[in-house]
Amino acid sequence: MSVPTITMPGAPVSPAVRKPLGVSRAESRWLLWPPLVFFAVALGLPLLMLVTQSFEGGGVAYGDALDVPTFAGSLMRTIVMAVVVMVLTVVLGTAYALAIVASPVWLRFGLLAALILSLWTSIMVRSFGWMLLELPQGALHWFLGLFGLADEPLELYQTTIGMYPAMVAVMLPFAVLPVMSALQSIDREQLNAATIFGAGPLLTFRSVTWPQILPSMLSGGVLVFVMALGFYVTPLLLGGPSNMTVSGVINAQMNQANRPDIGAAMSILLVGGTMIVYLIADRLFRVSEKWG
Amino acid sequence: MSSTVGRSLGWYRVPVVVVALLASLLLIVPFVILVATSWTGGSFILFPPEGFSLQWYTEVLDDPRWMDSFRLSLWTASLSTLIAAVLGLLGAVGLARVRSRLAQRWIRTLFIVPIALPPIAYAVGLYGVNMELGFLRGTLVTLIVGHALVALPYVFVIVSGGMSRIDPALRPAASTLGAKWPLVLWKIELPALLPYLLSGALFAFVVVFDEVVLAVFLVPPGEQTLPLRMLNASQEAFSPELTAASTLVSILAILVLAIIPVTNAVRRRRALEGVTR
Repeated sequence: MSVPTITMPGAPVSPAVRKPLGVSRAESRWLLWPPLVFFAVALGLPLLMLVTQSFEGGGVAYGDALDVPTFAGSLMRTIVMAVVVMVLTVVLGTAYALAIVASPVWLRFGLLAALILSLWTSIMVRSFGWMLLELPQGALHWFLGLFGLADEPLELYQTTIGMYPAMVAVMLPFAVLPVMSALQSIDREQLNAATIFGAGPLLTFRSVTWPQILPSMLSGGVLVFVMALGFYVTPLLLGGPSNMTVSGVINAQMNQANRPDIGAAMSILLVGGTMIVYLIADRLFRVSEKWG
Repeated sequence: MSSTVGRSLGWYRVPVVVVALLASLLLIVPFVILVATSWTGGSFILFPPEGFSLQWYTEVLDDPRWMDSFRLSLWTASLSTLIAAVLGLLGAVGLARVRSRLAQRWIRTLFIVPIALPPIAYAVGLYGVNMELGFLRGTLVTLIVGHALVALPYVFVIVSGGMSRIDPALRPAASTLGAKWPLVLWKIELPALLPYLLSGALFAFVVVFDEVVLAVFLVPPGEQTLPLRMLNASQEAFSPELTAASTLVSILAILVLAIIPVTNAVRRRRALEGVTR
């Protein structure tokens, strides 16, 4: 094989070389096998463990899981929370992305800096910041006190109302970034053409901008929804015991109730639900292809 | 830049910008408060802080427990990042060579799935593996492997982005000249992908360094990674020590990630000098 084969376009190709020039079968195999084996071990093995563990009692664990009184409530709460957070994040995130491309340079710099700061710092640290803000005698209380608005300690910490803004803030960058890259790749001539032909801002937005950012809004929304389903740290710190998510209940089963089989069954339900949502959304909106 | 989009919005851009400014407050204000409370001269968390002192920073930096946790996080996260970087690179390069569109889509989805995986469920699964395979008990192997899986999508996404920017004619050109695929990989693709690999790896490192849910389940008793120590500290008593530690971790993350734009700028200047010379 030391003689290189040169194939002219259109020249008759022998079956052995009918493939993109320079790609041998061995090479894609050698390159892709290590990561695929890693996935089989690092992802397949734990999932297999979850399945075997949850069926240890012959499937009793699933019935028990649904009988745990906090589970049904937390399931509803988690889904409602994920939907609300997704909608708020996508709306705010789209406005944010539009503002970044539409504002003067100095303002754009500030908005980008805020976005990057929160993308680069950990979710836990940002949740700590929200705790300090919402504590009964915290920063928000002090701020309202400046205007004589806060006589009594705030009742915001570890409530549902107090949890949502924090979760939206934590998830916001994931909704802004895809919309921003979609906005930056809009063909400017289309917008100019719309203006030249007399379309107002609303019509231009509806018929030129909107259709081109909608796919990115959807894929950002799916990502936020799926991540919110598995949210653990922020609800733990800000929602308190009355606002436990599914993740919190699983943790309680593992560490307090000492029923790893129930924990495993709940985990299977959580992973299964999340994966179904993700895979359907991936087929519908091509979420994975919006990345990179 | 894309201010054409701005112009097309007309006066409607004013409410949009106002909403975005309010949203940016959601992003900044909690962080500013966190940093401010760590300056306090007193021994309680108060806002506005009492006076100004860096005593809580020296407290954290002198405390062997915080530093042990820091070192533990540092080396486990580095190892996970290394694994994720190698596998993510191989995946991104290998995927571009797969010819079937269908297989390509599925493999791509597989590589991104760990982002959507609920961390607690994955942690319970890994914990089960830990219990089942006795020789893993008390080691950090599952934590490192789990973190590598969590980090892999970030490397993969960023490196695939770089892969699509490589001139597709280079590879056939090289192989017509007799280069076998390892040589093409080494001489053409790897140098072109290196900046993307670096930014992917740094981002992955920061993500893994901050990851706490897997650590809750997988760190053997007696040891604590830095985020785990922070989470535990927040459950016990919220002290300025914790906000000082949080500030230090954030500064570290910002410094690490700032390497990317700086190296990019340096490379751009070098390229420019090369052109003018």
